[in-house]
Amino acid sequence: MDRRIVITGIGVVTPIGIGCEQFWTNLLEGRSGIAPVKTFDTSAYNVHRGAEVKEFDAEEYVLNLDAAHLGRASQFAIAAARLALADAGVEIGSLDRKRAGVSMGTTSGEPREVERFDDAYVSKNLDRIGPEFIQLYPCHVIAAHVASELNFAGVNTMIPTACAAGNYAIAHALDVMRAGRADLMLAGGSDAFSRITFTGFARLGAVAPEICQPFDRFRKGMIPGEGAGVLVLEPFDRARRRGARIYAEVGGYGLSCDAHHMTAAHPEGAGAERAMRHALADSCTNPEDVSYISAHGTGTPTNDRLETIAVKRLFKDEAYRIPISSIKSMIGHTMGAASAIEAAVCALAVFSNRVPPTMNLNEPDPECDLDYVANTARELPVNVAMNNAYAFGGNNASLILRKGELLN
Amino acid sequence: MIGNRVVITGAGVVSPLGDSPAHLHDSLCRGISAIKPIKLFSTAGLGCPLGGEISDFDATKYLGQRNLRPLDRTSRLVASAAQLALDNAGWSIEMRNDQEVGLVLGTMFCSVHTISEFDRRALEAGPAYASPMDFSNTVINAAAGQTAIVHNLREVNTTISTGVTSGLEAISYATELIRSGRARALLAGGADELCFESFYGFDRAGLLCRSDNSAGDFPIPFDRRRNGSALGEGAALLMLEDVALARARGAKILGEVVGHGSSYDCSRGRESGQSIDAIDSAVRQAMNDAFLLPHEIDCLSASANGSQTGDRHEAEGVRAALNGQTHKLPVTAIKSMLGETLGASGPMQAVALLETMCHGVLPGIPQLDEVEQDFPFEMARSENQEVDVVNGLINSIGFDGHCCSLILSRAEA
Repeated sequence: MDRRIVITGIGVVTPIGIGCEQFWTNLLEGRSGIAPVKTFDTSAYNVHRGAEVKEFDAEEYVLNLDAAHLGRASQFAIAAARLALADAGVEIGSLDRKRAGVSMGTTSGEPREVERFDDAYVSKNLDRIGPEFIQLYPCHVIAAHVASELNFAGVNTMIPTACAAGNYAIAHALDVMRAGRADLMLAGGSDAFSRITFTGFARLGAVAPEICQPFDRFRKGMIPGEGAGVLVLEPFDRARRRGARIYAEVGGYGLSCDAHHMTAAHPEGAGAERAMRHALADSCTNPEDVSYISAHGTGTPTNDRLETIAVKRLFKDEAYRIPISSIKSMIGHTMGAASAIEAAVCALAVFSNRVPPTMNLNEPDPECDLDYVANTARELPVNVAMNNAYAFGGNNASLILRKGELLN
Repeated sequence: MIGNRVVITGAGVVSPLGDSPAHLHDSLCRGISAIKPIKLFSTAGLGCPLGGEISDFDATKYLGQRNLRPLDRTSRLVASAAQLALDNAGWSIEMRNDQEVGLVLGTMFCSVHTISEFDRRALEAGPAYASPMDFSNTVINAAAGQTAIVHNLREVNTTISTGVTSGLEAISYATELIRSGRARALLAGGADELCFESFYGFDRAGLLCRSDNSAGDFPIPFDRRRNGSALGEGAALLMLEDVALARARGAKILGEVVGHGSSYDCSRGRESGQSIDAIDSAVRQAMNDAFLLPHEIDCLSASANGSQTGDRHEAEGVRAALNGQTHKLPVTAIKSMLGETLGASGPMQAVALLETMCHGVLPGIPQLDEVEQDFPFEMARSENQEVDVVNGLINSIGFDGHCCSLILSRAEA
């Protein structure tokens, strides 16, 4: 079994497009998916904008299960999984189903099912919540639904490590494949726009009123979003044998925990730095080899400042050379899907030698003094991309993707 | 198995049947049941009024006088079990400052109660009244994050959520990290709390034993009269270490994780053939991973919780995986007494199995009167059995598709 694991397919459901092509084109053009929230009435809130997925028809993607009886995060995940498999040119029937697995991340699981329960509870109509409920609201149903839809009987894991969950899920899939426990893994993350999440971030004062402007001096916060990203991972030898297009190799990853505060990052970025350091070591990458960093870049004053500190702590002078961008400026914070979608961006950057911009970055912040690829996409050789993600609970995860051409 | 050997150097448990491995095992061997009328929330209007709750749980008993206000019930259970496991393994706070220790936690719901309360407060009083502190606990990795803060656990911190199998999957995940050299010392296990919001889903789905059941109020795994499970709660964590580290620091080795396997039943428990096949696959993978043959498995700690179909699938799946060599296999099913503790269940079984390996007594299955006729378990008994276990198999099988098996071996004398 080849321990070199590569990405051969990408599937995304995002506020700026469904499917890899539409998403990537819009991303490079700097289009925004942020608009007034339609999922629920925001009149009782002091913020009103979000990044919702528009014109999504689950029936297009959910072919074997009953789409009407799936939560939205499961629907997104299935759509992204099918898009990724199609993109990879994988015939599902050609797989050994016991060696085909799923590893997904999420922040909230299927929050809308819990919200439906809460609505019924508050209005004293709990009878409306019936026997199907148990199959809908625990978070593991997202990975389960993907596997049931595709008839994948191998490893099936759900990793709910909040806003870094996508990276954790991809990292786990890498380990599963390195250990020879699967021939193919679908790995990524999914989250649905949620009243609970919106309320929480609004109460923390973390939501921006209009736009998301990571690293800008006058940035006002994050914008909650939704979506899904799924990658197809295969061993290099298998991918080459079937003549698959290889976007990138998953070089390695690093995890760490701040053990400092549930919602605030470590004041010196110590946990974030350790995760990046582990990722470099795991993938045998030198700091000077890193061509691009996809930032967590939420757009909150604290995150962007501390993330900058952490990158400088590790990369020292090299930090000023490396282009860094945050796509959350365009698609908002898609929660557990965020780092999965950003991993897709890293794979596309490595494959096409282009990196997306950080939009809405107009006034440089003296405390954020690195190269954030402000407002315009850039062409440059991208041999190695680092994908950073940080989460509530102090959960940090960094992933390294590198050029498939370097494989031989 | 390839890579570093993974040994168990400590265990911590908080359960309605005891807060130490020895106490838990003793209760199980006495046939004490945790299943009683629930006091944590009203069961009016629900079919089943029973559950295995920890009635007098007080986290300060384990964590001392500190500010526990930011921790909800699940987080307190996990932080308490972590303290017990770290103490049991001899990992002092000074050692943890020098060498990073991590945590891999399995949980099905973390706290869906906290999530729901947060949302209902916003619904009833308006979003401006929802508590920001509670929001930080609405993420499903909250208990792992809070526990890391309490105990300064800066290594890997991962939450695994695969339903009933979450805890055993967490041990498997941690095992792989140590085998590959990524981590050297990890707490791994699981937890779930008993709360209305999770209980309601199980009750409405008809998965719990009913008070009007002629067989009585209790789950009776593998019995022909079984008619559903009961929910329980608790937390159980193992201290897993690279064997070289454990030996170097002179730690007492309680056992070794020698194999694990996972699979998924795409029919989510609806089609017996597929369900049995998935269980067969998980058990076989675990045996292959451990380089063990069916006759080398000395006992089974079953996932069986009294479910009509679940127990049958497990019996058939194990028979297939062990090539029919199950008639002399001693079997226990501790969910008969603890109830279904969801994410904690597999790790609870692991803690009990370590005690069985050490003391040679396998708990019986209370009230087991007549094993379902065609089940291949002649050695599933209501009374305790004296056993000599070198390799013990633990199953964790969800009602909705996830299967995980783990094999523990006794510490070398």
